[in-house]
Amino acid sequence: MNLKISNNQITYIRKANLYLISLTLLTFIIGLYFSLLVSPPDYIQGDSMRIMYIHVPSAWLSLFSYTILAASCVAWFVYRNPIFNLIAKSIAPIGAALTLIALVTGSIWGKPTWGVWWVWDARLTSMLILFFLYLAYILLWQSISNQETASKISAALGIIGFINIPIIKFSVDWWNTLHQPASISKLSSPSIDINMLIPLLIMTLGYMLFLITLFLIKLRTEIIDQKILRLSIK
Amino acid sequence: MFLNLIMRDIKLAFFTSTSFLITASFFLLILILIPFIFGSEIGLLKVMFQGLIWIALVLSILLTLTRIFNSDYDDGNLDIIFRSGTSLELIICAKYIAYWITICMPLIVLVPFVAQAFNYSFVQAFPIVLNLLIGSFGMVFIATCVSALTLGAKRTTFLKGIIIIPLYVPFIIFGVDASSWPILIGLSLIAFVVSIYATIYSLRLYGE
Repeated sequence: MNLKISNNQITYIRKANLYLISLTLLTFIIGLYFSLLVSPPDYIQGDSMRIMYIHVPSAWLSLFSYTILAASCVAWFVYRNPIFNLIAKSIAPIGAALTLIALVTGSIWGKPTWGVWWVWDARLTSMLILFFLYLAYILLWQSISNQETASKISAALGIIGFINIPIIKFSVDWWNTLHQPASISKLSSPSIDINMLIPLLIMTLGYMLFLITLFLIKLRTEIIDQKILRLSIK
Repeated sequence: MFLNLIMRDIKLAFFTSTSFLITASFFLLILILIPFIFGSEIGLLKVMFQGLIWIALVLSILLTLTRIFNSDYDDGNLDIIFRSGTSLELIICAKYIAYWITICMPLIVLVPFVAQAFNYSFVQAFPIVLNLLIGSFGMVFIATCVSALTLGAKRTTFLKGIIIIPLYVPFIIFGVDASSWPILIGLSLIAFVVSIYATIYSLRLYGE
């Protein structure tokens, strides 16, 4: 892979990361203070709904990172610049982790609210499939030993997965209306109080900064990796 | 060339090895497991049969995937086919047809007869067979493109499963429902378009 990135530019990423890490920590501290202490408990669910401030941002950002992944795969097909494949590769494990966090916290939240760890709800099922799409992308890249080929092949899979997400969402929704009683769907669009919305938005910002920080660390490592690989081939 | 390629793959599958018999008996044996798992109560068997034929089909496809490109890729035949001057699109279409005839067609032909054992009449079995017929084409398209994507990868049996099964979810959902065959046709057409581009792209990459 011929990356046209100088060592200076990599150093910039490292310097930016120092600021980003402190900013992330600060946002998380403020966000957790507001969401755990300041915001009012839900009048039905009590304090157990506070897991929402962890659950909802991770669910949002897991979808966001797959969009970034697919967008950079498309960008590779358009511009043929290998950096886009590295961007996709760097964001994949973070997105998979966010999906896993959303699934696990959702199931922990489900136990006191619904009485069960898991229901075959449309959104839960789609998230589970999204996790496996991430996994497929990561595993395909890892199982091809030639890095150049691996990057190009995985880009195709990233796009195929992205085309499939709306189809899977549509079919799972359709399947769900056949099989699922509508008991849970009333939770799907609750009007949210402003006192809960503000901590939620701060937490989302915190997650976003966290995602960017981790992403830049991973991207920098990947770029250095590719540069070392190129040197050792020469 | 197109027909020759199809005939070659079919001959390889039907005459030079017993693999056609093996996949058919594998498919049957999975279905035979149904009464052992769920008991011989007729109402339950009918419901289970409808769903489990899809699992049997997915497993049969997964286990025979290496036949599409891998064996040709490993012994160099794929290179010769590429150099023949036939367009890649035609070659891939030939591969779809040959794979469908050798793997899916025998299974689908078997289904109406096996269905008798699960208390279906031929008329009742018809929608199931129709859905299998349409869905299996879509599944073959996806299987071919994933098989092309993983050509250069090592130890891919489970990897292919992990890539393919999430992509099969819509086919299974609409396949099990008897009345949604028009949606299955749509899905298969989308799969065809995506698959042919992805397959060409990855074959070019590995062919270099």
